[in-house]
Amino acid sequence: MRNAALLALLLGAVACRGTGEHGKTIAMMPKNKGNPYFASCRTGAEEAAKELKVRLLWDGPTETDPAKQNEVVEAWITRGVDAIAVSVENKEAISTVLRKARARGIKVLTWDADTEPDARDYFVNQATPRGIAETLAGHAARLLGGKGSFAVITASLTAANQNEWLRQLRLVLAERYPDIKLVDVRPSDDDRKRAFEETQTLLKVHPEVKVVMAIASPAVPGAAEAVKQSGRTDVRVTGLGLPNDARPYLKDGVLDSAVLWNTKDLGYLTVQAANALAMGTLKPGVSSLTAGRLGAVKVEGDQVILGTPFTFTKDNVDQFNF
Amino acid sequence: MSVAATHRRELSVGAAYGALLVALALFAPAFYQRANLRDVLVGAAPVLVAAVGMTLVILARQIDISIGSQFAICAVVAGTLAKAGLAMPIAAAGALATGAALGALNGVLVAGFGLPAIVVTLATMVGLRETLRWVTEGVWVRDLPPGFQWMGLGQDAGRFAIPGLALLVWALVAWGMRHLAGGRAVYATGSNAEVARLTGVRPRRVVFGVFVAMGALTGLAALLSAIQFIDVQTNSGVGFELRVIAAVVVGGTSIAGGRGSLVGSLLGVLLLATAGPALTFLGSQAYWDRALQGLIILVAVAADAFGSATRLKARP
Amino acid sequence: MSYERGLALCLVLEIALFSIIGWNFFTPGNAGEIVRASAEIGLLALALTPVIVTGGIDLSVGSLLGLCAVVLGVAWRDAGWPLPAAAAAAIVAGVAGGGLNALLVARLGIPPLIVTLGTYSLFRGLAEGVTAGVKNYSDFPASFLFLGQGGVGAVPSQLLVLVAAAVGFWLMVHRMAAGRTLRAIGFSPDGARYAGVSVNRRLGAVYLLSGMCAGVAALLYVARLGQAKADAGTGFELMAITAVILGGTSIFGGRGSVGGTLLGLATLGVLQNGLRLADLPAELAGVVTAALLLAALGANRVFQGRDGT
Repeated sequence: MRNAALLALLLGAVACRGTGEHGKTIAMMPKNKGNPYFASCRTGAEEAAKELKVRLLWDGPTETDPAKQNEVVEAWITRGVDAIAVSVENKEAISTVLRKARARGIKVLTWDADTEPDARDYFVNQATPRGIAETLAGHAARLLGGKGSFAVITASLTAANQNEWLRQLRLVLAERYPDIKLVDVRPSDDDRKRAFEETQTLLKVHPEVKVVMAIASPAVPGAAEAVKQSGRTDVRVTGLGLPNDARPYLKDGVLDSAVLWNTKDLGYLTVQAANALAMGTLKPGVSSLTAGRLGAVKVEGDQVILGTPFTFTKDNVDQFNF
Repeated sequence: MSVAATHRRELSVGAAYGALLVALALFAPAFYQRANLRDVLVGAAPVLVAAVGMTLVILARQIDISIGSQFAICAVVAGTLAKAGLAMPIAAAGALATGAALGALNGVLVAGFGLPAIVVTLATMVGLRETLRWVTEGVWVRDLPPGFQWMGLGQDAGRFAIPGLALLVWALVAWGMRHLAGGRAVYATGSNAEVARLTGVRPRRVVFGVFVAMGALTGLAALLSAIQFIDVQTNSGVGFELRVIAAVVVGGTSIAGGRGSLVGSLLGVLLLATAGPALTFLGSQAYWDRALQGLIILVAVAADAFGSATRLKARP
Repeated sequence: MSYERGLALCLVLEIALFSIIGWNFFTPGNAGEIVRASAEIGLLALALTPVIVTGGIDLSVGSLLGLCAVVLGVAWRDAGWPLPAAAAAAIVAGVAGGGLNALLVARLGIPPLIVTLGTYSLFRGLAEGVTAGVKNYSDFPASFLFLGQGGVGAVPSQLLVLVAAAVGFWLMVHRMAAGRTLRAIGFSPDGARYAGVSVNRRLGAVYLLSGMCAGVAALLYVARLGQAKADAGTGFELMAITAVILGGTSIFGGRGSVGGTLLGLATLGVLQNGLRLADLPAELAGVVTAALLLAALGANRVFQGRDGT
């Protein structure tokens, strides 16, 4: 009985080790696994992994826990992988462990959210925080006609990406749109219901707010639904969100625009870049990277640029499915 | 004992709630817009339904910290069944049945095997949520039939029916607790299981029953919450158990079992459901919300203990 | 076969399993990493052991860790204090937090579950309020970071702190009279009172200690990650409680073991690390932990024969 169990265990272990893959091992980590945004990035990543015949390890925290990302990277260093690609939750915290990975000869990439530049080889950038802020501010300004009040629904108050976007947003407002006022920032903790409730309250506490900007993907449908249910046709919603979540509200007209980028392509490009990095084809001095079906992708210094932020509207949203 | 003494806790919660309402009337009368009152009640409805179940659980001297995970699963079940083309009443029944089943799991472990409730429900909380995450990978249940939102009743009727149904459930269970033998059995089991057994109550059955009831009510809460939207988030209900337990405890139900009432729980739910938006109306910054809510809980329980002559050193 | 022997055997089997299916699991470097990652939760679990032995619980330790981390950052960066003073301030904050719990539990007699449910929100809320959620203190000097990231060879610097704490708590719970009184309180607070034990003082002391350990754990955490932010230690209380229960301490109080807590801690640390090295998904860790917890409860009943309902 005991022997049979041990045998089964051993067989299972051998099976787990993978069978005869000759490609590189690429370890990729989202900020947290429970988010549909990252689930869509993953589909692109797996597509690239299959094409390139590399072994893709996809893991990360299931909740936004700042310490867990470090621990996962540590495990990958111990395990031994060829490249690590991280969407960074905490830029300062993760830099230590990423430097350690580089010191061990592992290639390090960040994607979606960056860390300190000396802690990684390249950053696969879909859009700079400044670019995102400018696009969002532009939409708010357009909807407000150049002056008025708007409010923001963010992820959690400690979310690093959102805080960086907010910082840039305030700078852009000060520089370009002095007549537009950001009245309040409310957290959603990545919960749609919470975004919904915060927006409902917001609309009543600040009736002068005419635009609600939701900068976390679960917050977009939450805020939009709240505005729709309130019957306030004078209020419009914009923000950062997935086209599939945004579609019904875009069609309704409640949601004016949703800004994002092609998350599948982002995942795809990250794996392509990680592989190129591990193979040595992506190195300092290179200004372009051939990334499978994406063709030639621009490389600027230490950033691999996917493109600029893309705005989904009711006219183009049907072309996308993620 | 005078009426005031037996219901001292409910009176003090009621007084606290009253004070909050007065503060709002003075400093933020905008709170009293009809639309806002309605929205607060609709938002409070799922919490109330779950608080009814949690009151029973805590009265029976148990606890259930897994309801957040149950909530998430029941919501996904409702959405998935609706998406598969089943009629809404069936999807709703599915959500409730799932909740009852998950509650039964807790019940079997606690009543059947005699394992401590707090640790059992800690295990089921973690196990269920991680399993759900693994299976769904965070992808929402989308493209639901139009009859899903508001169960097809439309926005106005729906927003009236949801708190109405919650209140109805509350009233039914409150009546049952007072007038049915089952209700007294819950109080008896929570006060002293041994004595209860000697008077003919079956404590194990009661404990199993309250966990199943908790699960079914959580399923209902998940349904009431899910039908306010057009799709189902798969990672909902995080922190739900804390909100519900806080409401029940603030409402005066003793964690030691055997003491408390559904009236108190209703007041607790209302107090905490109002406190959130009230802070926004009163101009508090979002980043002080959590501290203030923690303070409210502590003040509520400390005030009670301060005034109380007897000290209850109870078990968790 | 005692419960602890059984748990130790499980741990050995677990290590054996991961040595086979995990890449580079059975190396000194990896063992060091496991200790490093478990140190903060370990401190919290050690402090929670006497708390649970008295029949209480402390859900606020993770949030208090976050608050102490923020205090460290504020004192050092904003107030300009030298780092040792700021670190002392963080520990004092921990003691103050523990003191609040102690006051409400021991003096006012409010059930610990409720008190710490409230302070769980209050402490985290204070941390968020002070930093507006946004502020993140980093760029600590290398000498401080050594505490969390350095070591000698494969032995991490946290090991010293963990060992010291383990020895201290073991002495307190198992060798000193204090430990016996804690068990007496857990078994029957009134009985203990009649026996002349100053129950309030003892209870207060364990919550104060718990707070202090949260402060020390905050220092280790900030040193390990190199940043102090309001979300530090999120979810740590559940992991710490799991380690204690896994170790065989009864949630009802009256009985418990520091050695068991250490075994429970090791079991959880090895599990998390091993699953990652075996390329298995993070969700599995949660599911297995839940199963282990239930198994521990069941085994505990079999070994101790105690009535639970």
